[in-house]
Amino acid sequence: MTRMRRRAASHRIAVVLSAAVVAGLAACVPAEPGDEDGADDSGSGEAGGELAIGTTADVVNYNPLVGNSRTDTWITNLMYPSMMTLNDDAEKVPALATEWGYSEDGLTAWIEIRDDLQWSDGEALTADDVVFTIEAVASEQLGTVAGMIGSYESAQAVSDTRVEFTLNRVDGAFLNSVGFWMPIVPEHVFSQAQSVADFANDSDWVSAGPFVLTQVERGQRYVMEKVDSYPLGEDGAPNVDTVVFRVYPDVNTEVLALRSGELDLIANALPPSVADDVSTDDELETYVVPSLGWAHMQYNMRRQPLDQVEVRRALAHAVDYEAVRQVALGGHAVSANSSILTPTFPKWMDESAEEYEYDPQLSRQLMTKAGFDDADGDGMFDGVDLEMIYDSGDPNISSWAELVRDQAAEAGITISLSGLERNTYLARTDERDFDIYAGSWAVIDEPQSNFNLLFAPDGFINYAGVNDPEVNRLLDDAASALTVEDARGPLHDLAAIVTDQVYDNVMYVEEFTFAASAEWTGFVPKPSELLSVVNPQSLASVRAAD
Amino acid sequence: MALLRFAGVRVLRGVLTLWFAVSVTFFLVRLLPGDPALAIASPTMTEEQRAHLLAEFGLDQPLLVQYVTYLGELVQGNLGISFRQSQPVLDILLERLPWTLILTSSALVVTLAIGLPLGVLAATHRGGAIDRAVQIGGVVGQSLFVPTVGIALLYAFGLGLGWFPIGGAIDSDVYGLEAYVSMLRHLVLPCLSLVVLQIGAYVLTLRTNLIDALGEDFCNVARAKGAPERTVVWKHALRNALLPTTTLVGLQLGFLVGGAVLTETIFAYPGVGRAIYESVGQLDFPVMQGAFVLLAATVVVANLITDLAYGVLDPRVRAT
Amino acid sequence: MSGADVAGVAPRVRTWRAFRANPLGMVSVGMLLLLVMVALAAPLIADYPRGYGDDVLAAPSSAHWFGTDNLGRDIFAQVVWGTRTSLAVGLGASALAIVLGVAVGVGAAYFKRLDTALGMLVDVMLSLPVLPLMILVAALAGPSVSTLVVVIAVFSWPEVARVVRSQAMPVVTLSFVDAAHVMGAPNRWVLVRHILPAVSPVITVSVVLTASRAVLSEAGLSFLGLGDPSSWSWGTVLYNAQRSGALSSSWWTALFPSLAILVLVVAATLCSLAYNDARNPRNRQDAIR
Repeated sequence: MTRMRRRAASHRIAVVLSAAVVAGLAACVPAEPGDEDGADDSGSGEAGGELAIGTTADVVNYNPLVGNSRTDTWITNLMYPSMMTLNDDAEKVPALATEWGYSEDGLTAWIEIRDDLQWSDGEALTADDVVFTIEAVASEQLGTVAGMIGSYESAQAVSDTRVEFTLNRVDGAFLNSVGFWMPIVPEHVFSQAQSVADFANDSDWVSAGPFVLTQVERGQRYVMEKVDSYPLGEDGAPNVDTVVFRVYPDVNTEVLALRSGELDLIANALPPSVADDVSTDDELETYVVPSLGWAHMQYNMRRQPLDQVEVRRALAHAVDYEAVRQVALGGHAVSANSSILTPTFPKWMDESAEEYEYDPQLSRQLMTKAGFDDADGDGMFDGVDLEMIYDSGDPNISSWAELVRDQAAEAGITISLSGLERNTYLARTDERDFDIYAGSWAVIDEPQSNFNLLFAPDGFINYAGVNDPEVNRLLDDAASALTVEDARGPLHDLAAIVTDQVYDNVMYVEEFTFAASAEWTGFVPKPSELLSVVNPQSLASVRAAD
Repeated sequence: MALLRFAGVRVLRGVLTLWFAVSVTFFLVRLLPGDPALAIASPTMTEEQRAHLLAEFGLDQPLLVQYVTYLGELVQGNLGISFRQSQPVLDILLERLPWTLILTSSALVVTLAIGLPLGVLAATHRGGAIDRAVQIGGVVGQSLFVPTVGIALLYAFGLGLGWFPIGGAIDSDVYGLEAYVSMLRHLVLPCLSLVVLQIGAYVLTLRTNLIDALGEDFCNVARAKGAPERTVVWKHALRNALLPTTTLVGLQLGFLVGGAVLTETIFAYPGVGRAIYESVGQLDFPVMQGAFVLLAATVVVANLITDLAYGVLDPRVRAT
Repeated sequence: MSGADVAGVAPRVRTWRAFRANPLGMVSVGMLLLLVMVALAAPLIADYPRGYGDDVLAAPSSAHWFGTDNLGRDIFAQVVWGTRTSLAVGLGASALAIVLGVAVGVGAAYFKRLDTALGMLVDVMLSLPVLPLMILVAALAGPSVSTLVVVIAVFSWPEVARVVRSQAMPVVTLSFVDAAHVMGAPNRWVLVRHILPAVSPVITVSVVLTASRAVLSEAGLSFLGLGDPSSWSWGTVLYNAQRSGALSSSWWTALFPSLAILVLVVAATLCSLAYNDARNPRNRQDAIR
């Protein structure tokens, strides 16, 4: 009896643990690959090597037309080509497409695509795939692209390499939006599902990019092998054999892995303090690209006293923009000259734009002019208490929100901060329930069409409540212009009004820093965190440094 | 018969615990101010799209109907569909569960393997330097903040010394023995951080119990009969001290599994705990809820197995 | 004066004497008092950390004892002011948990009919993984100090209830309680007069222990981004360090708030250990021997 009891205690534990460990191990140790898997692997030698890339999250959706998270896009972009990409000046340049244009009346658009691309299963990539993709997007209202093609009527593959679109109105941004934002998917694969939206695309991937996803271990890694031929690459094929995305939910661990050499590259932009730290490391190379959007404050003009332009101007002059950029962003941002036409886009930029000057005295004068005074002598204007909402999860904005509040106090204006959890923040912005909104746009790449969302009376991200007939007229002029030269005039006028009336207070354009091991060379960084250094062109041309 | 009755009671209790866990999370998610419906619907949606989406996830039904449906589905092993990934929650989580099991059970094994001797050592050297060191070490371990320990371990052993890999649970393309080695190498640091965290509770409890037992009559009798102190400690006292210590395993399991959230996140270990962290960021309530239910089920099943195994081996327990 | 009070005074004094004799216990009480003083006197010790400074991520120096964070703010000031919030959350959560736990524990011990149900509830709650539950609730309710207090309390009371119940159980069966019942004393009177005094020593220990665990929980939740962004707590300081990526490069951003947590929890645990030792007559004899 007594022996039994003593053994019982240890047994009890041993039984459970061995059961758990055995169950766990059995499930986790991979089986030896069978012959059918092994055959392909032998072909890829060690010549190009393996590039390990850090990412912060698992792939949520493998269907590029449905999923639009940044981390998903890094992987799907390598398989489903866009027709256009960006150059350093954030201009749309050929990728899958070679040429494009509009008819005289602007109601027809055409795109000519390359004839030498094929899907990794051997099918040729043709104009039919393009038509299939845009038809799916339009009829099923898929993703963000659906919102950009309001002018789309129909598409037709007039040859294997030429697609013609019929538009219901003149839309100068149509081709650029479709060309850049819409990844082309293989019709012969995606048409298998009842609807494209329901197609999970979570196995047997087919790629027309430089790499194809071959193996997924959720929570750990996404293994992509190079394709045999990729005409868009420098040498007709990628240099590296394998690209592995490894998932690190915590950026600190991710940076440690980069330093220890387990990662060769980090796909997400580094926080400013890390960026500074990493740039002094000889074994690491950093790449800096600008944002395609901007960070800003918007003043809710549906509410008093923000409906008065003097008050908005007073607020605009009560911010030390340079301090915000230097301190909150550690200098990793450039001035947008308080213009919605930011320096990221040289072709649109207005050289004459000037940043609001930080001048608390001027702010006080403007407030007095607007009819406010400080009767109780506490240094603050009476009856003014503006609530500023922002997403408390955004590290940059939570940093500068405090600066803005303290600087406004210098000018006698009281701002109360409401750092909100993201969900609440989105709901409040959606209901336009705020005095001041602090946030940022990730990508505003086509001013001609995008500005409509921002400043037209019914634009769904018109947070400030802009309703200005002159603005509306300029928006229409810009949208229907078919060339950059024609669009530039109305856009400059529009931007000047926005600055003058403080319809949108553009604070800075962020610069993203990416870090990679110095053992690799040939990365092609592109603007925005979306394209980053992990865009198809970049990963197709990267190779081991000598 | 007694054994069957005992088993029946324990199973019933386990089921009850699970039901409680499920119900609590279900009503918490639906009654608290944060609106899950808001989480799936984006601001750009029209009223119609939103209503359609809510209907798709069954969120337009009365609460009780939703509850009954949820329980019914749960019994069939269906934890719902993720808001973010159009994939069943169970599929997402089952992929993660083995890693959590490996991590927590290995942490438990190591804790006991180190903790028991340490507890005995402290108790037999009561009041001495070893005792003090073990006690203080145990208390300090319990009080450490997991992520800080994690980063420190990664910094020292991953980056500095390069002994262990940083992040992940296994290398790719490794098979057979190599796979086990790779798995072990990835396991060491996260396991260590969990051991540091919970070993104190075991050591301190065992020490107290052992000291109590050593003062009991049966130990004095054994000593009087001329049994060497070694035998008294290991044979007579430890046997009695282990009994209350094992109940601690049951209490600590929940703590251990909960601690996996922070550990797995820092070490980029692909377990269920990390799935919770990720689903918080994405406001993916079905996954959050499912992950909790799964972790609770793990604890319940582990407790049940130990209870039953114990009941079979030790008839005394059946009476309680 | 009833008999219970007379009997209660003497052991209490003896316990206190034994406690004072234990250096570890006294040191830990001293540490706890020091932390409370820091919390109360925060404005006198350091300026409230706000805005920004020029010296970003500076290592500890004479100007900044604990170094600076990614916005150049003094970490010493953050830890000092964090003591306030962390202790407030800890004590608030613990107070709430104690009220719940004592109610359930005493209820279970006193009302026999409730015992099985309450006992089971406590067992169930104790066996569940609590941190994930807290995360779930905090994520739903939105980040604020009051949310944290409630969330932590709601999942900490079972521990208290268990201890209180086992302490109250023997008292309920004591003859004077029965006698009081026979004399027709109302339940409330018996509870206040006899049972609460009997469980009050465990409550004292529980306050300290639960508060220190609550501080750890608060740090964990804050670290996951579920803390209150508008007030400094040790968890917030750690969260800032994590989010800014400073953890991997600037050790001081994580070390000092972690140390503060460590000091608090260790002191609280040692304090309760010493108290338990002092209260247990057998241990006391051992200690003398």
